[in-house]
Amino acid sequence: MRAVNYAVNVFQPLLWRRAFNEWLSIDAPILIYMLKATVAGLSALWISMKLNLPDPRTAIFTVFIVMQPQSGLVFSKSYYRVVGTMVGVGMSLLMMGFFAQDPLWFIGFFALWIGLCTAAGFKYRNFQSYGFVLAGYTLCIVALPVIETPLEIFDIAVSRFSEVVVGIMCATIISDIIFPRHLSDSLLTAERERFGNILTTLADPKAVFAAFDETNPAVSRFSSGVVGLNAVRINSAYESGSDQKERQHYSHLNHEYMNLSTTFHSLKSMVAAIKENERHELLAALEYLYEPIAFALQTRPNTVVDPEDLNHVVGKLLEAKTCVQERYEQKRHEDDTYISAGYLIIRLLNELHNHCVTYLSLLKHRLSGDANKELSRTVRFATHTDNVLVALAALRGSGVLLLTMMFWIWTAWPYATLTITMAVVIGLLLGTLPSPIDGVKDFFKGSVLALGFAAVYDFLLIPAYTSDLLTLGIFLAPVLAFVGWMTTRPKLAIFSFGFVFMFMSQCALDPLYKIDPTKFLESSLAALIGVIFGGMAYLLVNFWSCSLTQQRVSKILRRQIMRVCEGELTIERGALESTGRDLVQQFSTQGRLNMRSSRLVFEWLLATLEIGRAILMIRRSLKRLQEDFHSIHLTIALESIKSYFESPQDSARETLLNRLDAALIVLRSGTFPSEKAQLKRYETLIIEFSLIRTIIFNSTTFPLMKEDSCR
Amino acid sequence: MPLDITLFGIQMPTLLPIFAFSAVLQILVDRIMSDTGFYTYVWHPGLFRTAIFVCLFTIPCLLIYR
Repeated sequence: MRAVNYAVNVFQPLLWRRAFNEWLSIDAPILIYMLKATVAGLSALWISMKLNLPDPRTAIFTVFIVMQPQSGLVFSKSYYRVVGTMVGVGMSLLMMGFFAQDPLWFIGFFALWIGLCTAAGFKYRNFQSYGFVLAGYTLCIVALPVIETPLEIFDIAVSRFSEVVVGIMCATIISDIIFPRHLSDSLLTAERERFGNILTTLADPKAVFAAFDETNPAVSRFSSGVVGLNAVRINSAYESGSDQKERQHYSHLNHEYMNLSTTFHSLKSMVAAIKENERHELLAALEYLYEPIAFALQTRPNTVVDPEDLNHVVGKLLEAKTCVQERYEQKRHEDDTYISAGYLIIRLLNELHNHCVTYLSLLKHRLSGDANKELSRTVRFATHTDNVLVALAALRGSGVLLLTMMFWIWTAWPYATLTITMAVVIGLLLGTLPSPIDGVKDFFKGSVLALGFAAVYDFLLIPAYTSDLLTLGIFLAPVLAFVGWMTTRPKLAIFSFGFVFMFMSQCALDPLYKIDPTKFLESSLAALIGVIFGGMAYLLVNFWSCSLTQQRVSKILRRQIMRVCEGELTIERGALESTGRDLVQQFSTQGRLNMRSSRLVFEWLLATLEIGRAILMIRRSLKRLQEDFHSIHLTIALESIKSYFESPQDSARETLLNRLDAALIVLRSGTFPSEKAQLKRYETLIIEFSLIRTIIFNSTTFPLMKEDSCR
Repeated sequence: MPLDITLFGIQMPTLLPIFAFSAVLQILVDRIMSDTGFYTYVWHPGLFRTAIFVCLFTIPCLLIYR
């Protein structure tokens, strides 16, 4: 009994402390965020009321649109919101100036503008896309309410812009001053976690040489987060104290990680093929080759967070480099598969070494301000959007506008402008979400709930209890805090957006209280009909199926290889990689790929990246190699790669394999150059050709479509 | 300076162009300060940044409203 008492006495404070720490790390940030959102919203309301702006709800609405837990996100969203609003307001002035009297031209150009903005919003990433979307629907907000009285357009344009700026200023200042949370901190945490994951995965030879180990979470995570972390890095640029050099480091790390994970997965798929063919002695040879790397990583200190430990690891990796190279040289004359897989292992090691050096440089830069690695070269993250998707989005944007315009003209309902606005907003904003239709449903539910709240405020609380700004603020605060809480829940993101949209547009937040039940009901109905129209647009113009997506992806990837075969030689590997990843990310969110087909698509992507890179290397080496060592067989092999990817058929595959064999035989039996640089290029040719051959020989899926992977 | 100005035939408060101008200036100043590593010596970068903006915005405003 005494022992139990003693244990309780010892552990009680510990438990309390743990509970407190837990509260501090999980609940406190949410409470702080709720406080920040409420303060920002109320101050926006107060300022716009004091400045006599006609529609304070726009200001307070803007606060909740741009408010995010991390200040970098708030800044970048605000920036694009200001720019988008400016462009939208300018466009409204132009349109009203040109076509106010001519409905047909007005509607035509309106639809064109919305289509353009939707397409641009789809083509660009992050909050840039939001800026374009905003430029589109600002036209509805500014031009439609004054379509009967065009001369009021200037007043409404200036006041809407001022309200948006007031809202943005409140949101940004509050989020950067009161308990700021910086994106750069979370970027470092994510990078540290990823780096740790790389080292643990590569230290374990089983992770590399097991065929399929989905049970090992480290391996399955070894490709994710490239696109997402890039977005975080871009947004962190807007924070105070953001350091250009540090961001450059992060972008290099992201690129190196991308290369590293491609090499890793290529190696793994090659190992899987070797296992399937049961070539045990080859596998043993490769494991022998990999041993020094695993050894170098296994002896690392547990936490590689300070530069000294990491320096140690880098040194070990350098030793491993010479060791692996020696072991590889010993077995030179083995077959193609060994050459390719061994080459991949050496490349993996080189890339890992580079990655560690960059990470070390980042750590040093953060600690003392000086980096040991000169990052003069800027790496760009290239993106790619399928034009068919863009065209469909534009069609949807313009289509929903034309449809609701017709609804307005036919019904001649004065509130139908609200329907148009709502439908266009829905049609534009939710387009980049993974499943827009579910988003529309959530939005609808949020709106309906908000209508209940707004009714209570409009008809009960505001007229009965509020007499001035202070009391209005006190009564409004709980709802604002509630909205703040909802926005911290990822599951409620669209729901809370619908809630804010409807609550702010229906609540009587005017400088002078004015509300009547008929207007309230009619405008609510109009807005809800607008949401339904927007949702319908997604249902109608979204006929993507899994197999169609696969078809598009395979076509685009094949085209990339064809481009690499004949296009310019200046394409960088980084550009090839980032475009591919961005493309697949987009298709897996937009194009409804299931787990199995996403894996297939990822395999295609890897094969494309690997082959594309190899072709570029071959073409570059051929260009610098002396004419004497060229052979017609090499050009023929390159051409047959191109023709295989133009029309992938089994017969073309056979021809391609034969021609690759012929090229390799010619290369191996020919005279090797004596000069060192020339010899290196010649050897590169052999390695890259055998790599291509191995990939094409092993891969049965790419790029022929397998229909059954969709079921 | 007048309280309202006319730009391209649109009458607007003078505060608006001043705001835009000071915002651009603020972005430039901010970039320079962050790239030179000045913010590492500041206790609360966000507050400091806001204070700079308030100064940049209010000085011309005071000139108008005086």
